[in-house]
Amino acid sequence: MVIIKTLIFAFLSTVGFSVLFTTPKDSIVKAGIVGSIGWGLYYISSLVLNNSIISTLIASISIGIVGELFAKYYKKPATVFIIPGIIPLVPGAGMYYTMLELVEKNYYAAVDKGTETFFLAAAISIGLIISTTLSTSIKRAKSKN
Amino acid sequence: MNSNKKLSKKEAKKLLLLATLAGRIMLRNGAETYRVEDTIERICKSRKEVKYANVFSTPTGIFVSIEFGEEVLSHIMRIKSTKIDLNKIDQVNQFSREFVNSQMSTEEGLKRLREIDKIEDYKPIIKYLAGGISCSFFSLLFQGGYREFLASFFIGFIVTLIVGRLNKYKVTFFISNFIGAIIASVLSISISNIGFSQNINAMIIASIMPLVPGVAITNAMRDTISGDFVSGLSRAIEAIFSALAIAFGVGFVLNIYF
Repeated sequence: MVIIKTLIFAFLSTVGFSVLFTTPKDSIVKAGIVGSIGWGLYYISSLVLNNSIISTLIASISIGIVGELFAKYYKKPATVFIIPGIIPLVPGAGMYYTMLELVEKNYYAAVDKGTETFFLAAAISIGLIISTTLSTSIKRAKSKN
Repeated sequence: MNSNKKLSKKEAKKLLLLATLAGRIMLRNGAETYRVEDTIERICKSRKEVKYANVFSTPTGIFVSIEFGEEVLSHIMRIKSTKIDLNKIDQVNQFSREFVNSQMSTEEGLKRLREIDKIEDYKPIIKYLAGGISCSFFSLLFQGGYREFLASFFIGFIVTLIVGRLNKYKVTFFISNFIGAIIASVLSISISNIGFSQNINAMIIASIMPLVPGVAITNAMRDTISGDFVSGLSRAIEAIFSALAIAFGVGFVLNIYF
């Protein structure tokens, strides 16, 4: 039940972001689906693994892959789906908590949070790298045949 | 198909202009560098009189040169303002596919591109509402209740409104993110001071989400992988600086408040 609720919230949130980025009208719902898949995987894997960095990595890989698949089927640029989908994963919360700890002069906690935020951003980047490389190498292999 | 129609020099120049214009629309609306270069090259090479076409593009400029007959024609275009409009990228993408696969005249192509450039964005009020919706549902993802939902809707609406207005006046992204973060935290803190909601964290986290540099991160990575290191680096710097601007804005307000 909680998972379904989370998926719906993530869907609507991503739909909001996709309107902010002027996603084409016929792709808004698809971008929302990409976002809710990503956040759903993040949520489930962070429950199972209890590690937000690995969960972010899994989620961003899946967003990249689903985005590329959608791009292929609907003949749109992949970024149309990936950009709105990736936004909920961006560690805004980490940035905020780092600042909060800094302001409250808990420097150790601030370094802790800051490092985590940095690694979350790195996880997003690595996830995108993996999924994009996968899709380009598959494309190359197919065009050779 | 009258593919044996020869391209005159004047038309070749127009083709170059058309390709650069297509690239400019894409780049200005947040496309990846490789997509811009690929589109320009495809458009130029689609006419068989053009033997050679080479493009170099960074997020701030496009350089194209083509070989036509005995001459080399080239064009440089500087890109200044950038915003995010995925719809236009998609439209130009479709247009280039059509242009390459048909014998559309350059005249008509230019007309089509100018039309694409003029396509209206979503209405501002819809964008502000979308900002509110995305913030409010995001606050629910961060364990907010219905009070945080309502508060984040209001704050998200105001933040997207002000940042949208600032971007219209071509304020640098650093300043607009800084101001956006300040407004988000000031509003969140004042709402909690009224006693409407005690969960400041959820409200601030949700309402800075429309500012976070998701596009810059995505494009930086995609550019770097496709071998455009200059673009990748400059977009990564953009992402880091916008994140810093948001952090400074939030920290500034929290520092005064605590």
